[in-house]
Amino acid sequence: MSRVYLGELEELVLLMVALLNDEAYGVTITKELEKQANREISISAAHSVLHRLEEKGFVKSKMGGASDERGGRRKRLFKITAYGRQTLEDLQSTRNTIWSLMTKTSPS
Amino acid sequence: MKNESPPRWFDSLLDKLAPPSLAEEIKGDLYEIFCDDLSTKGITRSKLNYIFNGLGFLTKSFFWKKHSSHLNNTIMLNSYFKMARRSLQAYKSNTVINILGLVIGIASALVIFSVIRYELSFDSFHSDADKIYRMVRVSGTNMTILESSECRTGVSFPVPNALREESSALTKITAVLYNGDALIEVPDKSGAITRRFQENSTALVEPSFFSIFDFKNTNFKWYEGSPKTSLEKPFSIVLTKSASAKYFPDGNAMGMTLKIDKKFDCTITGIIEDFPSNCDFPFTVLISYSSLNAANSRMMSDWYSVDDTNYTFVVPAPGLTVDEVQKDIARVHASHTPKDLHESRYYLLQPLSEMHFDPRFGTFGGRTITRQTLLALGIVALFLLLTGSINYINLATAQSTMRSKEIGLRKVMGSNRKNLMVQFLTETFLVVLMAGVFALGLSELLLFRFQSLLNIKPETFYFADPVVLMALSIIIIFVTLFAGIYPSFLISKFNPVTALKNRFTTETVGGFSLRKVLVVAQFTITQMLVIGTFVVVAQMNFFQTTEIGFVHDAIINISVPERDPVKRETMSQQLKAQPFVSDVSLSFSLPGGVNRNRSYQDIRRTDAKTRDDIKVFEFHSIDPSFLDLYKIKLLAGRNFTSLDSAPYILINKSLMNNLQLGTPEAAVGSSLHVNENKYMVIGVIDDFYSNSLKSSVDNMAMVMDPNMFRKVSIKLALQDGSSLPDAVEKIKKIWTTTYPDYIFDYQFLDENIKAFYEQEQKYAQLFQLFSFIFLLIGCLGLFGLITFVVNRKGKEIAVRKVLGASVSGLLFMFSKEYVKLILISFVLAIPVTYYVVNNWLSNFSHHIELQWWLFVSPGFIVLLIAILVVCAKSIGAANRNPVDSLKCE
Repeated sequence: MSRVYLGELEELVLLMVALLNDEAYGVTITKELEKQANREISISAAHSVLHRLEEKGFVKSKMGGASDERGGRRKRLFKITAYGRQTLEDLQSTRNTIWSLMTKTSPS
Repeated sequence: MKNESPPRWFDSLLDKLAPPSLAEEIKGDLYEIFCDDLSTKGITRSKLNYIFNGLGFLTKSFFWKKHSSHLNNTIMLNSYFKMARRSLQAYKSNTVINILGLVIGIASALVIFSVIRYELSFDSFHSDADKIYRMVRVSGTNMTILESSECRTGVSFPVPNALREESSALTKITAVLYNGDALIEVPDKSGAITRRFQENSTALVEPSFFSIFDFKNTNFKWYEGSPKTSLEKPFSIVLTKSASAKYFPDGNAMGMTLKIDKKFDCTITGIIEDFPSNCDFPFTVLISYSSLNAANSRMMSDWYSVDDTNYTFVVPAPGLTVDEVQKDIARVHASHTPKDLHESRYYLLQPLSEMHFDPRFGTFGGRTITRQTLLALGIVALFLLLTGSINYINLATAQSTMRSKEIGLRKVMGSNRKNLMVQFLTETFLVVLMAGVFALGLSELLLFRFQSLLNIKPETFYFADPVVLMALSIIIIFVTLFAGIYPSFLISKFNPVTALKNRFTTETVGGFSLRKVLVVAQFTITQMLVIGTFVVVAQMNFFQTTEIGFVHDAIINISVPERDPVKRETMSQQLKAQPFVSDVSLSFSLPGGVNRNRSYQDIRRTDAKTRDDIKVFEFHSIDPSFLDLYKIKLLAGRNFTSLDSAPYILINKSLMNNLQLGTPEAAVGSSLHVNENKYMVIGVIDDFYSNSLKSSVDNMAMVMDPNMFRKVSIKLALQDGSSLPDAVEKIKKIWTTTYPDYIFDYQFLDENIKAFYEQEQKYAQLFQLFSFIFLLIGCLGLFGLITFVVNRKGKEIAVRKVLGASVSGLLFMFSKEYVKLILISFVLAIPVTYYVVNNWLSNFSHHIELQWWLFVSPGFIVLLIAILVVCAKSIGAANRNPVDSLKCE
């Protein structure tokens, strides 16, 4: 497996993007993160992370339609890429493997 | 609700700071949060939050990164190239004109670059190149080189050895004597001569030569022998590879014997690679310097005599300044020579890096080129690139009005200024790149074609040479930027609305006045060169048509290799008997020409007292028919007769004046001392130009000493039916039967004299070439411009014709503009050119006067050519039926 570096916050945000599906953008992601993981991050931090994820190819983005609640401005909608999903699954399975090993070897 | 919008000032701040692609989403998100906040918190709190969140972005690195929009860059690049290709195809004639002009410009610039690089590379490859100095001899009253100083290269023979023993200021010394012509014979085992060669670049060198000149960064190497030992013993000889292949086609040169000038048997002790062409040591046969001592030991201790081909190269001890070294050399020199010599002759040091560029001193290669000349060439190259670029700028700005719809539409579709500039620069780059590729090939052809004119060996230029490619890339980038920036700037400035309405006319587009300025600049350069060409060619004509005081046509010169008077006389009689020979004369040397012997002596009146009364003159020996054959005028007294045996002498007018002998009549009969011999003047001859017309007439005197006869002059009188090659063949036959052991060589005197002006002839050719190129590029540009104007003004022409304008009137209308511009450029070119050519002419002691027609006629010719180009293009438009242009709207 190639050496993909995915930070903890990045992983969380990526999960949120996957979770929100078609409605993932700055504001919804911060809200969802607070709701699901009880993590409060600033909107600028969210944007920053999303940019990094896009640069690394885990998400892709397009400008969405304008809405009144944004003062007529469009939002950038993010979507997880196949590669991003694959990475998440790989991480998950690595963890699962390690956890399963732990239950075997360590007396609980 | 009042005041529920976020603070405006902060929005506008974000607009300024944020990349345009991000501003929208950031502000959108902030606004959404603001609205959320508004429903739970107070307005002030929400506003503060808005600002606080917004400021958060400023701390993030992605916010400041350059965002070249979120479009894919490679796609955009492809699109640039595609658009460039399409628009180049759409305006084919412009593209061709642009490329043609640039190809010529870039190719010439590349050629000039190669020439400059080649000249600068002379002898720069030795590892000590910056520490090597050549000793030069300056005759004057001071240790510095003044205007009046006589600058020579020769060093007296004992000097190098004395310095080696007595001076600690020099770490390395080597003497080199360039011998030039030598007869080389290859004997077989029994000693019988099997082959003969006339070699013209033999040199005597010391073993230390190769410790100073190591030819490090070239492919120079020793095939046989070694630099330390091969040239040690007297009469050792080292051949270059090509010389060895010439003498011994079957190989096996090592250890063989060669006979030099019928006197010296030399053993071959080494074979070396040929010297590179960019060095001023054009040697093919190297003889050990120690042979000199063995052959003529008296010469080696003569501090007075100097042979100007005896060079000395030194490497000063580290830490010493040139001045200190020169003083030490002067000290050694003074300790060996009397006061009058060491106070009038100084040995100075000239850096090796100056050797090829200082025309005051010669080189073995016989050619120097001043750094000013190289600089001038460089400027010409720059001008060539500029004038090619000017064409491009003119055509592109003119063309831009035709493209205003395209530009307008692009802007409407959202293209911004930067895109348009990149788009246009890509177009320029493509044109320049194509031109560059063609130019690379053309420059190779040009170098090959003009190699003798440029004094360059073609192998010094390669397509794949990284330096050449580097130069080409720099040229391409430079030209792209120079030619592309302004038009792209102009085009991208168009207001889309005006552009789409196609309201532009040539007059309203900015840059039209700039176009005029550029055309004037282009033609100023062209005019300067054309005037320069006229002056150089006129001066060359002057050189060739001026009376030089003796006839020189139909005269063949051959040499007398032996002193035997019987052989000489028989040959002379046999030659005279030939029907195609009208006269034969024997003499020491020829009256003029590049290749001739010269011998100088001191002469004085019998009552001379001081050193100033002693004059140097050229000592000549002739037979009685010499004056007749060359039609040299006798001013007073008489010619020699074959019966004269007393020490009689003929002097020329200059010598007579310099010795203050009064009138020619008065001079006849006076006595003169040449060294210790006394001569009586029996006649005074008119001055003739034994030197080129670039310098003045030398003092000259002639005696009749058959022992000094070295040359035969044959005046031909070819009748009908006898051809020149036959005559030469017959002369050869007579000569070789007289001197079977030598190689026949002959020369036409007029060619020999012409060789004086070889360099000027080259300048004349170069000038012609460059003015042609400039004129060509300039006219190409004019052609393009006028094509454009004619196309634009089709309707105007038609209306004018309908209203009764004549064809000639229309042509006048078209050319008026350009005649004006060219006249302005002519006025600008005159003062600069006048200054430059005047400077150049003052190099010669005999030169033409600058006359008005030398300036006006080139100007007129350029004007005429330009009008022709303009009319040739516009005449079609003027003749067209006005209906064709007017019928469609």
